[in-house]
This record gives sequence, structure tokens and C-alpha cells, in this order.
Amino acid sequence: MKTIKICGVGSVLLGDDGVGPYMARWIAANYEFGEGVEVEDLGTPGLDLLAYMTGIDVLILIDSVDNKLPAGTVTVYDKVEITRQRPAVRLDPHSPCITECIFIAELAGGGSEDVYLIGVTGESLDVGLQLSSSVKRAIPAAVEKVLELVARHGGSFHKRESATDTHIWWEAPVGLTQ
Amino acid sequence: MAKRITIDPISRIEGHLRVDVEVENGSVSNSWSSCTMWRGIENILKGRDPRDAWAFTQRFCGVCTTVHAMASVRSVEDALKLELPLNAQYIRNLILINHGLHDHIVHFYHLSALDFVDILKIPAADPAKTSSLIEGLTNWDGNSKKVFKEAQDKVKAVAASGQLGIFTNGYWGHPAMKLSPEVNLLAFAHYMQALEYQRKSVQAVAILGGKSPHIQNLTVGGVSNAINLDSMGTLNMDRLVMIKKLMDEVKPFIDQVYLPDVCAIAAMYADWFNYGAGVTNYLAAPDLPLDGKNTKFDLVGGYIMDGNLSSVHRFEGFRDKVFTEGVTEETKHAYYKGETPLHPWKGETDPEFTDWQADGKYSWVKAPRFQGRPMQVGPLAQVLVGYASGDPLTRKHTDKALDLISTVAGRRIGVEKLQSTMGRHVARAIRASMLAELGEKHWQLLVENIGKGDTATFAPFEFPSGEIEGVGVHEAPRGLLSHWSVIKGGKLENYQAVVPSTWNASPRDAKGQHGPYEASLLHNPIADPVRPLEAIRTIHSFDPCMACACHTFTPEGQAVAQVKVL
Repeated sequence: MKTIKICGVGSVLLGDDGVGPYMARWIAANYEFGEGVEVEDLGTPGLDLLAYMTGIDVLILIDSVDNKLPAGTVTVYDKVEITRQRPAVRLDPHSPCITECIFIAELAGGGSEDVYLIGVTGESLDVGLQLSSSVKRAIPAAVEKVLELVARHGGSFHKRESATDTHIWWEAPVGLTQ
Repeated sequence: MAKRITIDPISRIEGHLRVDVEVENGSVSNSWSSCTMWRGIENILKGRDPRDAWAFTQRFCGVCTTVHAMASVRSVEDALKLELPLNAQYIRNLILINHGLHDHIVHFYHLSALDFVDILKIPAADPAKTSSLIEGLTNWDGNSKKVFKEAQDKVKAVAASGQLGIFTNGYWGHPAMKLSPEVNLLAFAHYMQALEYQRKSVQAVAILGGKSPHIQNLTVGGVSNAINLDSMGTLNMDRLVMIKKLMDEVKPFIDQVYLPDVCAIAAMYADWFNYGAGVTNYLAAPDLPLDGKNTKFDLVGGYIMDGNLSSVHRFEGFRDKVFTEGVTEETKHAYYKGETPLHPWKGETDPEFTDWQADGKYSWVKAPRFQGRPMQVGPLAQVLVGYASGDPLTRKHTDKALDLISTVAGRRIGVEKLQSTMGRHVARAIRASMLAELGEKHWQLLVENIGKGDTATFAPFEFPSGEIEGVGVHEAPRGLLSHWSVIKGGKLENYQAVVPSTWNASPRDAKGQHGPYEASLLHNPIADPVRPLEAIRTIHSFDPCMACACHTFTPEGQAVAQVKVL
């Protein structure tokens, strides 16, 4: 059985860059996965991402991308494309590390056999705690892509009868937290 | 005639820094450090509950998440004048120690060693000779001929594939690369081993903090770890033993690999003790508190002016008045309105963008000043303050490093030489070696305190209705970090983070005084303006990380440096 890790990455303080953490939490709240499949909001992991490539067969990253396509477009990149299309994938504080971590993991051995990036083209990456409407509309399609990849690699899942709390804490408006 | 070179971006992983240098007769004659994107994340915090701020601030940056969380809770606790339970202090200290070890290992091996180590010379090395070079010097078991042969084979395979992968953007074959193939191989083999050891430190942080990056266990007033030595799901003896085991594995790597490697490379590049001093005013925060009231510390803080170690002044605590009253931020050369230096509690962030102007505004980073002077922060500042003020721990580890460097170099390298590009690398390794020793101590303190029956981890509090001000100070891996908060009726009125890279990457101020990066580049040699490896060595020695100083989205961010010669 393959181990599969679904990781949302991005800065939740920078508008649509928060789509990865948002989706990771949304998926965890709405789906239950079989053994070997995990979902996590990794935030902005930098080189720490390397730790998540070790001992994991399939790594599915969710991130915002700047690929000149219309906002809300969902694009799936595989390992070869992530490393080849470097200039096309948005390179904010953390994303340079996606490529770097893949290269380092290859050099060190023991890295994930398959790495995918589910890229959602962002509309606004300015400071802000909400996703834009075009990115929000793209979420179901992006979730489908994630689930397809999980299924393709032998992972099992089913939709929860009722969703658990997403804990998307950064979206709470000022004054309503705690 | 001077030739202007623009290097943008310069960090290997978090690149939003732009550096411009003018080169005349093979040496830097003028320099500018700028940040290319608007900073204003703090504005998100205004009006929020101060108890939530740390969760937001630790998302400022992908590298320094833990440190912003820590400075934030300390800022609110300072405003409330809270006394923390000892367990909370020790648990936080263990997180900071392990985070620092991870950060320093990664900075040296993965973010800056390749400024000095030429990967493409490795295929020519004799692994047996590499092994015999250090035989008898350490008892590290990762120094066998077999280990070096395997490392060399990896490099050969990468070179033969024609795809350099992680090594695509190095300055291989540059005339400033001086190490023998065997020493290059040694450093690379340890680069690979360092990947494993930095991860152990991350694991220790994750066990205590619940997760890494982005620890979960902080709370204003303490930590949320429940302590019960016999209970699953709490901080129990099993977990404490796991942490100890990880630290026991990392410490020998620091003592027998990291520190000796840095000392050996420093000795072989001893001319780099002559470049890059720059701003020789140093500022460091005390850290690793030993009591709940933050009056005793294992790392000393203070300041030194004009490179004169006998001028050292120690800070008494996190909220030493000399520090809190001495800090201002200026914006004459930064893209903000206003010319008056402002204290961070009164800080304003009102943008006024112009183009990059050599004599005008040219950076999104403000110019922080202490007593009106630019200050260098980072491990070097901390080590110099500790050494100059006679701290026994700092002296022990610094003397050990200087002795080793002097032995390899064949001449005496004294503490004054640390005020340089190479000195910043050496100071970081000294600090790591201190942290590894302190890890054992703070683990012991925690276990002994729990053993006494104390399981408190949280100090209760209430916000007063009036206005209170706090400063949260942390001596982070990149240097002094301070979060300044103003709280009114339990809500944040103002919040300013003055981060280490703001001090170091600072632009000129109203008096025209260069910031530390800028000053450190002056008189650096530049052999080849198209491949300004020497400038990159000096900038990397500071461990730049601009993501928290400001954010940007650079489509070419993969390059080590995009160089444009004007």
C-alpha cells in the first residue's frame, strides 16, 4: 500500500496564496481517507517540506500559481513539470523550495516517487485573509483533481455524511475570534 | 569608471532582496540594499484579540515561523507584566534551541557553504585522501572512505546526467573558489549528512510544538502542553525521552562536524576575515530565560559600538529601558511617508512608492536605528556581546573555535577577526555549539522541575480596560527580533515587528549612514562583475531572509542571482 500525503502550502496572510491551507482544511473536514492517506495544512514550509517527502510515496501539494492563465484555473503539474516549468510556477517565499526540495530529495534518496502540484491560478496575492471569488469557485474542481490522484495511486476515501469544522481560523473577521 | 551591478534576488530560498553595487578596479565602491515589495502585514492584526496575534505572525514567513510566534506571545505577556510558569519557559526554550540548531545547520550547509565549496571539483577528489585528512581529528563515524566515495558517486551521477538539479545555479569554477577537490568532497558529504541532522532538530520542535512548521502549543501566559509523565497524549516521559534522544544525536554533529567544518573552511579562506565588517555596532537580545519574571538568561544580550569590545553594555532583561527607549525607524530612503524617526509603538506604515532612486527612496525596508546608529544583529552580535562582557559559556565555545581556526591557518586568528564576512559564519557555528550544550541543560531543568511535582504551564490573566504597551524580544537565529504591541481594552491598537533582516538590510538613514549589508559590501573584491560571487558571500554570511521584512512574488526566484550589469 502506498503512503499518500496531501499538503496545502501557501501564506494565509496573502489573499489567494492561502488556497493551499484553505483546501487542505476543507478536504479534511469533508472527506475521510483510508489507511496511508493524510491531509495537512503545511503553511509556508520552506525547506521543512523535505521532511514530508521522506517516507511518503506520493506527495500531492496544493498551492496558488502565477502561470498567466485566468484566475481560478486549476492546473496539475507532475514532478517533471514542476522542475521543468520553474519560471511558470509562482515563486513566492515558499515555492522555490518545492523545486529545491524535489532536487535535494532526489540527491539524498528516499524522497517521494511521485510529486504533484495542484495549482490554482490566483487573482490577488495582496495582503488579505480571504480568497477571491474566482479562486473560491475553483475549489470543487481542484478537490476533484486531488481525489483523482489519490484514487489513481490506490488511496481510498469517502465523503463524510456531515462535514466537521474546517478550522479556517484566519478567515474569522476582527472581533469574532476566540 | 564605476560599473553598477544589480543582484536580484540574492537569497537561495527566500529571495526578495535586491543589492546594487558599484565596482571600481575590482572592488566595491558603493552599495545599496533594497527590498522590492511592500510590507504591511502587521495591519492585519489591528483590532484583533492579542491572544490570537501569534497564530498570524508565525505565518509571516516560511523559515522563521516559530520565532514570530514566540516574539508575539512575549510582547503581549510583557504588556500584561505576566510571570510565567517555569515549565512554560523551559518548554519554549527547548523549542527555540532546537529551532535554532535546525536553522544554523541549514544556513551553513544548504544555503551558504556552496559559496565556498565547488561541487564540480568533487569528481577529481581521492576519497581515501579526504578520509585521511581528518583522521584522528574527530571520532565522527560519517568520515570513512566509503562514505566519501558514495558522496562522490552522487556528484558524478549528477554531473554525468547533464542536469545539475539543485546545483544548477552555482558559480562553479569561479577563480575565488580555492578548496582542494578533497576538501570540497568533505564538505559535500557533510552537506548530505546535515540534511538528516537538521531534520532531527525539526522533529524535536514538532514533538514539543505539535507541528513544524507552525507550532501549535503557544498561548499568551504559557504553553498549552499538558504535563503528565504517565499519560498518553500529554507531555509524558516517553516524549521527553524522544526529545532527549534527538538532541543527543544532533549535539555530536554540531561538535564534530558543523563547528570543525566551519573552522576549517574559515582557515582555508582566511582572507575573508579581512572583508565584510561593515557596520560594527552590534545589538543582541538576552534569551533563554531561567526564571518566570525574565530576569536571568542563559544567552546574554546588550550592545557594542564602533567595534570596540570594551564598550560593551549588557541588557538586564527583555524590557531594558536602554533598549526599548533607544529604537526608532526612519523612512527617508524607504518608500514611506514622513521623515521623523518614530518609535515602533508609534510606528506608521504609510506607503509612498517612487522608482529605485540611488539618492532618494529605494527600499520597502525601513531603517531601524538604535541611539541613532545603524546596528548589526545576528549570531555575531550575540557572540561578541557575550565574549566582551565575559560570559563563560560564550568564551568557552568561542575560544575553542578560534583555537581550531588558528591551528588550521597556521597563525593566530583572534576574536577581533570575527568582525568580518567569515566571522559571521564562525559566530553562527559558535552559537550552535552553545545551543547544543544548553539543550541538555534546559531538558534537565524541565525534567527536574516536573520531578518536583510542578506541572503548571499557564499563568491566568485579564486584560485591563486601559491602554498597555508591550515588547516581545527574541534572539532569533538571524538576530534580535522585536514585536511591539499597543493594546487597548483587550484589542490590538498597533503592532509593529522589527525583524532581524530589517536591521541588517536597512537602507541609508537621514544622515546617509549605510545599513549593515550595504556597509559590509564596501571594499569587497569582485573578480568578475558578471559572476559577483564575492558580494554573494558577504550577503549570505548574514543569513538574509526577507520574507518577513516584506513579501513579493518573483517569477525568476529560482536563480541564485540574476545579475544585470549596467
